[in-house]
Amino acid sequence: MIVGSLAAGYHLLGDGKEAQVQTKDIDCLLLPRVEAVRAGGQVAGDLLAARWRPRNEGEHARPGDENTPDRALPAVRLWPPDSKEWFIELLAAHDPADSADTRWLRLPLPGGHFGLPSYRYLDVATHGAPMTEFGLRCARPSLLALSNLLRNPEIRPETMDALVEGRRIRRSNKDLGRVVAIARLSGADGAREWPGVWVDALRACHGDVWRPLAGRTGNGLRALLASGSDLEEARVTCNAGLLARGPVTLEQYRREAERVLVDAIEPIEELAQGGGD
Amino acid sequence: MAAADEEPHAVQLLCLIAPRMTEERIAEEWGLMQRSLRPEVARRLAVRVLHADGRARSFGIVPDSMAEQLCGASSPVERRSGTRLPRPDYSFIVLKLLVYGWLTHRGPLTTLWIAGAAGCSYPTVATALRRLGRVVRRHRDRRVELLEFPREEWGRLLLTADEARSTLRYADRSGQPRSASSLADRLRALRPEKVAIGGVLAARHYDPELDLMGLPRLDVSVHSPGRWPDLSFVRRLDPALEATSDPTEPARLTVHFVRHAKSLFLEGPDRLAWADPVECLLDLHEARLEPQAGELVNALRERSQEKP
Repeated sequence: MIVGSLAAGYHLLGDGKEAQVQTKDIDCLLLPRVEAVRAGGQVAGDLLAARWRPRNEGEHARPGDENTPDRALPAVRLWPPDSKEWFIELLAAHDPADSADTRWLRLPLPGGHFGLPSYRYLDVATHGAPMTEFGLRCARPSLLALSNLLRNPEIRPETMDALVEGRRIRRSNKDLGRVVAIARLSGADGAREWPGVWVDALRACHGDVWRPLAGRTGNGLRALLASGSDLEEARVTCNAGLLARGPVTLEQYRREAERVLVDAIEPIEELAQGGGD
Repeated sequence: MAAADEEPHAVQLLCLIAPRMTEERIAEEWGLMQRSLRPEVARRLAVRVLHADGRARSFGIVPDSMAEQLCGASSPVERRSGTRLPRPDYSFIVLKLLVYGWLTHRGPLTTLWIAGAAGCSYPTVATALRRLGRVVRRHRDRRVELLEFPREEWGRLLLTADEARSTLRYADRSGQPRSASSLADRLRALRPEKVAIGGVLAARHYDPELDLMGLPRLDVSVHSPGRWPDLSFVRRLDPALEATSDPTEPARLTVHFVRHAKSLFLEGPDRLAWADPVECLLDLHEARLEPQAGELVNALRERSQEKP
């Protein structure tokens, strides 16, 4: 399943010839989790046989061996045969019962040991993902937004490896910022439909704890709105990515974020507090 | 005093919210009151003054913390609202009510009804009626009505309507504005109290054949006889809306305050009310839709005449 900004762009930008998503990594989620290692091995093997090349740039780029700790393993990142402008990255589904933010699954390949990272709450993004004409499922933008909100209840200090517009960006700002970008691309009323979709996904994926999860969906976005510098980082990241064709000012971006609060987060918080189903 | 004797430790607190009197004048009055009343009575009275800019001051023996708590509990909406309205313009209101009566064929109105609907005293109505002169027919039983549509007075009313209704215009700050229809749908879903739909939508309700395409903006009327309206619904409609004083900036939402005591709102089937027909007329004029306003006057007169 395709997740991340390409999935959002696929659904939101459609066939528009002017449409453009600026992204370097195509996140491919392997699921179910129990099949991830087998499927990952097969996908990587097939692509390498088709002359795709391992992306050997950056930290932890070299393959490990049986002595390399899981967390130090390189992710499977492959360039297509004729380009170094983008690459695919393989991810594994996260165990819903696992409270760790990130977990690495060891993937032994003929060239060495790699890792399949799995991220908490990415499972909600897989709920009801439609099949595309290319035979790949593509996560729904509204649920990618929910996944990002759940995974970032606060703005964490970790930064992204790559600079954006020459700036070091906090990973949480990128994730939370993308929620606002998805809302923007969904139209002036787009986020109004989200609460119902979110509740369905939460109940399907985390039925026993959906209410407390729903009740804290807004924590990260509120933290973002409360910090001018973090909001600006988020805006810069979006303007360089999903909003590349329609960049926004900080004021416009703030207003869009407030719309998400009013249209999606406050209603789901009310649902979480209610007694009924 | 009998009631006070029953509760010898009770204290009476008067909370003045954004008073027009200066603090010096209030202190002066407070001093006079202290000298006029018996000490055992005076020491059980207190005044808490809350200014519009958030400053506060207490007179009397009630601690500030308690006074603040009491006043806060009594007027949460007033303290939240950032908009303070001027005093109602009763000349405007009285003429508006007369036009309302004329348009809807209510027949002659008693001064008492007008005073009750306006929320002012009998003498205030009498003064306003005197100013209107010959356009008002006075019956022997003191009831009054307009002889005809008062074009000259209406023209003057239009000139003061913005101020009398304290009209607020809201512009989009997101760069991706919501449509007026979307705002109207949201308003129907929210159903805020004391808020009615006006403008083009209400005009179409009163005259379905009105010659008008599209919906350029949403007009709403907020019933606010007091001076602190609750505008919290605006954020729920769209947090990207912001009040603007720039007349050249396109308004997505326009809020008009209905200052008379009776709202004259017409309850709709979906429990969201329609503003009264005169409000709609004023809205159409304000939006420069004069031909449609004239059309609405004719339609309202014809329709109400047809009613038994």
